[in-house]
Amino acid sequence: MEAHSFSPESAGFRRAGVLGLAAVTTVVGTLEMHRLLSAQGTSAPEVVLVFLFALCFGWIALSFWTAIAGFLQLALGPRLPGLRYPSVDEEALPLASRTSVVMPIHNEDPASVFANVQATYESVAATGHLDAFDFYVLSDSTRAEAWVAEELAWSDLCRRVGGQGRIFYRRRTDNTGKKAGNLGDFCERWGRRYDFTVVLDADSLMDGRTLVKMARLMELNPRAGILQAPPLNVGRTTLFARLQQFAGRVYGPVVAAGAAAWQLGESNYWGHNAIIRTEAFINHCGLPVLPGKQPFGGHILSHDFVEAALMRRAGYTVWLVPELGGSYEQPPPNLLAYAQRDRRWCQGNLQHLSLVMAGGLHPFSRGHFLMGVMSYVASPLWLLFLMSGLVAALHDRFFLDAHSLDTASLAFDAPGSLRLFAVSMGMLLTPKVLGLTLALVRPGEAAKMGGRVRLTLSVLLESVLASLLAPVMMLFQSHFVFGTILGYRVNWSSQQREDADLPWAEAARRHAAHVAAGVGLVVVAALVSTSLVAWLIPVVAGLLLSVPLTVLTARSSLGLWTARRGLFLLPEETEPPEVLERAQSITEEHGVEPVSDAVERVLTDAKTHALHLALLESQPGLAESTSSPAALESARRKLLGGGAEPLSAQEKVAALLDVGTLSEAREQRLMRALS
Amino acid sequence: MDSVTTLTACPSVPSTVWAVPRSRAALDTFFRGFGFNDEADLSALAAWVLDGYSAHGAQPQAAVALARARMETWLSSVLGLEHAGPGLLARGRAAFVLCDGASRGARLLTRPAAPEDFVRAVRAAVPVPAPAQVSTVMPEQQLVLWPFGELLRRWWRGAAPDVSISR
Repeated sequence: MEAHSFSPESAGFRRAGVLGLAAVTTVVGTLEMHRLLSAQGTSAPEVVLVFLFALCFGWIALSFWTAIAGFLQLALGPRLPGLRYPSVDEEALPLASRTSVVMPIHNEDPASVFANVQATYESVAATGHLDAFDFYVLSDSTRAEAWVAEELAWSDLCRRVGGQGRIFYRRRTDNTGKKAGNLGDFCERWGRRYDFTVVLDADSLMDGRTLVKMARLMELNPRAGILQAPPLNVGRTTLFARLQQFAGRVYGPVVAAGAAAWQLGESNYWGHNAIIRTEAFINHCGLPVLPGKQPFGGHILSHDFVEAALMRRAGYTVWLVPELGGSYEQPPPNLLAYAQRDRRWCQGNLQHLSLVMAGGLHPFSRGHFLMGVMSYVASPLWLLFLMSGLVAALHDRFFLDAHSLDTASLAFDAPGSLRLFAVSMGMLLTPKVLGLTLALVRPGEAAKMGGRVRLTLSVLLESVLASLLAPVMMLFQSHFVFGTILGYRVNWSSQQREDADLPWAEAARRHAAHVAAGVGLVVVAALVSTSLVAWLIPVVAGLLLSVPLTVLTARSSLGLWTARRGLFLLPEETEPPEVLERAQSITEEHGVEPVSDAVERVLTDAKTHALHLALLESQPGLAESTSSPAALESARRKLLGGGAEPLSAQEKVAALLDVGTLSEAREQRLMRALS
Repeated sequence: MDSVTTLTACPSVPSTVWAVPRSRAALDTFFRGFGFNDEADLSALAAWVLDGYSAHGAQPQAAVALARARMETWLSSVLGLEHAGPGLLARGRAAFVLCDGASRGARLLTRPAAPEDFVRAVRAAVPVPAPAQVSTVMPEQQLVLWPFGELLRRWWRGAAPDVSISR
């Protein structure tokens, strides 16, 4: 079979177009900024300011030209060149390959996890290609209660769909390497059974037709190592989540199509909702452990970028394929949960800095590492840019000769500044405008999003709210970046609850520093001039309002209220795809009974006991892998000693891993009950 | 009194099979693991296990060993060769409990052949957490993080490359 998956001839033209125009735009913008600042000579703070501006403006310029490329790609023909697509005849053929669909999980809500697995499974079955797929839930859960609940949910799912022998459940006792280690463990045990592996996240949901299409594309493109289907955010009801979902639905396609249009076969992998060539992955993507200590050394945290780079280094291509569709995930329910996720990703992405110069990587892989770093470092850069601007203004205010400001040639070029500001804002807003344009002109799409007027109003409201939330995220991300670089631990103990209202007290605690920063900015700006305060209003307003913004946007009631009024509507809400509806109905119909005490449940419930022991005995090595003999000894003493002392979390896990202890304890209880 | 007479309504089991109380209790515990709780069922199952054995379950361990053997034979006849192996009893018990076999009474086990619908259901319910492994090694990739520095360092003192610390 001929390889069709290398980047096509038009790659150079596409890349020169986007990267070249971004570079030219950055140079022109930076020169203009320098001209504006140097009217009265250039001070040291202003040199720093120009440098920071160049970095921030370059980042915006790249996003802008990527969005333009995406718009053109979508308008002129959504199919990427370079991949071979199946003909109508080929689409009718059965799949010749075997694909595993794996979902690594870690202490997740089993109801939604297994509902998504079932909906995906049924969706694949509906395509008639089920024989080509196996499903694995790969549990890294450490909580005993989550573990037992998963076993029960898996068993119920298999009974509902007749999935024994096709839907598998494996729990790892050793969580080495976290998600990447979990996936690596799967590859080393069962990977060789499959040609391809579809990696899902705990909240992923995929249409069966998409999975079949992905497997077929992999069959037809033997040099393709990874195909990434960009996931669409769906399924949450809080206002914050609905804003994310709406933005992802309207602007996301433009951005994704733009990235795919110039990155082509050197695109990136996002860690889930993607298909990988299993043998190539096994042979070439085993992650190294980096030398040195955390945050830059140790196990690689954000594995996806590195695996994509290794896959590309081995000669396989990595494609982002936006046209696939049918790929879903859920956004965080509120700003604090979003920031919590960002904290984890931030450390992972910054770790990639040490890989940028690694030998043998494709230049685009290095570019992906840098773009990942920049997506977090842009925040502290923006912050430093603001600070430098303030310092420069204070310098001019207090150290320059006041009379020089009256000289016409030395006066600050206010119209020029406004022009540059307008250009920057225009470039920031362009992806939104382009996304809106596509939604308005595509037949029927606007109608599914509340109609043209409501759709436009939604974009305007989303833009205002996103602008207010952006400075808060800037401070959060700056905190995470500095924390990672300086090596101090950024603690975050708040509990994640599904679409639950956020207490005012927690929001006030998290945002106290942000409000203080907003007040500080106003005071310092007022020392310079009232007009500077006006310039800073877009930033300061978000900081001063951060507490009510976070609390109110975390409310489902507000999210649902906007939905009832036709705001932030998605076509996937007005006409839900079958797989989404099915996942929702399974979650509602087949609720998973909560497990309040895992050991107690295994000892008292015959079904749970039989199932748990069967799973332990079916996985030789699992029962012997208990890491703490002392915990087991202590658990045995408590369980068999007849006392009522509760087991610690570690003792529970140790007891649940030991068939002998569980059998003895259950027998003892039954005997006691009989006598 | 050390022994009791166990009466059973099951026609296939002699009505005078008895077991010492400790053995009977051990058997009851064993069969409760399959979901049987009804006294008549437990009596019938004890009789089914001990039928034909002269020791009449003098020792609880021996009685349970007999019960395990009985159940393994029964499960292997129901589940077929596909599920034969060391975990047969554990997996078979799980499937039996998941199908609520106990609700059909002791007769389900003592009759010559299990009903076809139950056989189908119990076979489909045998937990298969994972297929057979095809073990392989995912080799850890070598990444020279700073090739130029590495060149200098090797020239200077021939140190090991700055690849993974796990090697």
